[in-house]
Amino acid sequence: MSDKKHKSIISPLKAARGMGADKSGFHHWWMQRVTAIALIPLTIWFMFCAVGAIANASYDRALEWLSSPLHAVLMILYVIATLYHAALGLKVVIEDYVHKESLKIASIFFVNFACFAGAVASIYAVLLVSLKG
Amino acid sequence: MAEFKLPKNSVVQKGKIFKADADAKNVKSFKIYRWSPDDDENPRMDEFEVNLDDCGPMVLDALIHIKSKIDPTVTFRRSCREGICGSCAMNIDGTNTLACTKSIDDVKTECVNVNPLPHRPVVKDLIPDLNEMYAQYASIEPWLKADTPLPERERLQSPEDSDLLNGKNGHGPSACILCFCCSTACPSYWWNGDKYLGPAVLMQADRFISDTRDEATGERLDQLDDKFKLYRCHTIMNCTSTCPKGLNPAASIANIKRKLAERNA
Repeated sequence: MSDKKHKSIISPLKAARGMGADKSGFHHWWMQRVTAIALIPLTIWFMFCAVGAIANASYDRALEWLSSPLHAVLMILYVIATLYHAALGLKVVIEDYVHKESLKIASIFFVNFACFAGAVASIYAVLLVSLKG
Repeated sequence: MAEFKLPKNSVVQKGKIFKADADAKNVKSFKIYRWSPDDDENPRMDEFEVNLDDCGPMVLDALIHIKSKIDPTVTFRRSCREGICGSCAMNIDGTNTLACTKSIDDVKTECVNVNPLPHRPVVKDLIPDLNEMYAQYASIEPWLKADTPLPERERLQSPEDSDLLNGKNGHGPSACILCFCCSTACPSYWWNGDKYLGPAVLMQADRFISDTRDEATGERLDQLDDKFKLYRCHTIMNCTSTCPKGLNPAASIANIKRKLAERNA
């Protein structure tokens, strides 16, 4: 029925069962932990190696550093793990607190898009620097 | 959005004060949440001064004293008065617990605040509406499922198997009395209780998943592999810290997540 005032009487059991399990729970939970564990060494590398190498370096020196295949690959992995982890985590926060279905779907879409676009842009930048060098 | 303010008709007002007799020496006051569906009034906190010399040691004794001697309209559930039925679960002194096993002496504040279990619709006074939670309990199908025909005698378990249910110290998932102190203490359940099953029900799901006689483990795990039903648990641990029976619902939830990881990873 399209009538907005449509009210239905359903049993508490029907409400509790809902539409059944979405089978996405484990995958989300697991990927959040996998990315978290991957981020431990990657963040240590980023803090000490990347920041240390780039912070006080000249522009040319920084470009040279990022052109090294090892550092370029680690930087791409770091960007993917960070933004994937962020997208998974923000989705949970939105689901916890935003209960208006349309706003919830829009917010999750926005977060996913922003993280995905951020990852693509970052990877493109790293490749640009790395392959040119 | 999650609501951070009470609706207007739920804002708690100041209530009446019932003074103890002038000759009472050992007086403790109890502030009790009062709301009736029969009038249009807002909820209020009535204050009852109880002569502890004329009353048993537990908070439930005080409630019964108030109901029999001061105001017979004070409404609450109670049955066994020994912590095994779960009827008198309520929020006492800011913590969900059983009125019958909570000693008045353990409440150090001047006044004992007594409220219904949090974040539930109130039926009357200290009685919360738990229908939704009983339905969630039914939804996990809390009975033994086995296709192996009944043996001539009972289905056997090793002592180690039964430890999985009863716990080595008797504090396993079988010891849960379904008072729902844990679920109603859980912020995740407050915000998403319509979809998240909550610690009490998940602990019972674990009770059957961990039962070596139950043959529907896969089906049970399938039913729980959901972003809300199980994974809305964010390991806040209020469940375990509030359980009046000293059980560990958080460990049960962790066990279900472990089983799913074992199967799916």
